[in-house]
Amino acid sequence: MATTSISLIREQSEAVIPPRALWVPFPLGRPLGAADDRLFQGKVLRSAFRLLETATSPTIEDFLVEAPFQKESEAWACPVSFPVTESEEIDFRLRDEINRLRPWSQETRLARGRSLFGVSGADSDQIADVVDAVLHIVETGDVLQLPPSKIEWRFDMPLLIRHLADDLRTFYHEALAAQPGEGAPSHRAFNDFIFGGTALGDAFQSLAERLTEEGSAVSLITRGFILPEGYYKGGSAFPTPNELQESGFSLK
Amino acid sequence: MVRLSDLHEAEQEHMRLRISEWKPVEKAPWITPKPLKEARVAIISTAGLHRRTDSPFTFGAVDYRLLPRDVDFSDVVVSHVSANFDRTGFQQDPNIWFPLDRLREMHSSGEIGGLAKWHYSFMGAQPNHAALQAAGEEVGRLLAADEVDVALLIPV
Repeated sequence: MATTSISLIREQSEAVIPPRALWVPFPLGRPLGAADDRLFQGKVLRSAFRLLETATSPTIEDFLVEAPFQKESEAWACPVSFPVTESEEIDFRLRDEINRLRPWSQETRLARGRSLFGVSGADSDQIADVVDAVLHIVETGDVLQLPPSKIEWRFDMPLLIRHLADDLRTFYHEALAAQPGEGAPSHRAFNDFIFGGTALGDAFQSLAERLTEEGSAVSLITRGFILPEGYYKGGSAFPTPNELQESGFSLK
Repeated sequence: MVRLSDLHEAEQEHMRLRISEWKPVEKAPWITPKPLKEARVAIISTAGLHRRTDSPFTFGAVDYRLLPRDVDFSDVVVSHVSANFDRTGFQQDPNIWFPLDRLREMHSSGEIGGLAKWHYSFMGAQPNHAALQAAGEEVGRLLAADEVDVALLIPV
């Protein structure tokens, strides 16, 4: 059996030297370049398959065509602004955002006929239960015991927190994708929106604080899975070597 | 463009460290597959995809999940741990990670010989490649039994 591969980070393929790799200039999470673009995806695939005919020794070929849509989604701006309610508690603000977004999220799910929501174990209509669980963790600071819920959680703590966060991100992104305007935001535009003053972003930061307070290595690493690089105090949410040492973590 | 230098500096540093620990894959005899129009193709993804009813991937999981060629993407979720890659494209169009529809079209037009019955998904962001050896060899045997000629490896 022969292999051919797509490579997103050229340096990784240069280190591993697979038989055939097509390096593509797309962001992480977009290996075929563009969503809903049959022709462009086909072009990428055919280039990867062509290596099966042309390569006679380990080969990395560069696919030098930029994906067609990125500029638009990077320039995305949210058409809905949430009211500034800094005086309000996080639970009120988060539930208020969810209620405003719910009909939009529903639109996207109907249009697509599918949703990534529910990796935590939640059913498609259990967004309120996911929010309750997140607020329970924020309020009690308990990152080690499963939050009480009628949902049968599919992860242990604290890893569940990471996937609760993802279910919320999915819900928000679905909602934003349905709204009139420039279409769905890219990864970066979406993160800028979430961490630019939404209750969701504030709830994520509170979860990160609770994980920091608990302080075990697994909690600190989970913190790095919740906040993308650059959105935790301007840097990485993964534990520093000092933090890991203080947690008693050892590689041995 | 994604060169390492385009990523956030914390992520760059992390990836550089990982890459410095990696070794080239073991040399093996060069395989020239049968012509593509006769070849049966399987997708191997590292996006942490699985069906809703499957056990999700845990942190550092070195096992894999099966996706049948007629998988319904409304049954598929993602339990990859990283928050540092775009999931928005996949929400819009699963083919951007797992191009089964494109392969079906290429099969219909006679460009490839067929699609494997089973396709495979692993958890990416693996710090230790050696830990994946057993699962990798197992999937290799399963692909061979499924008469796969070409494995298409797709990262996320």
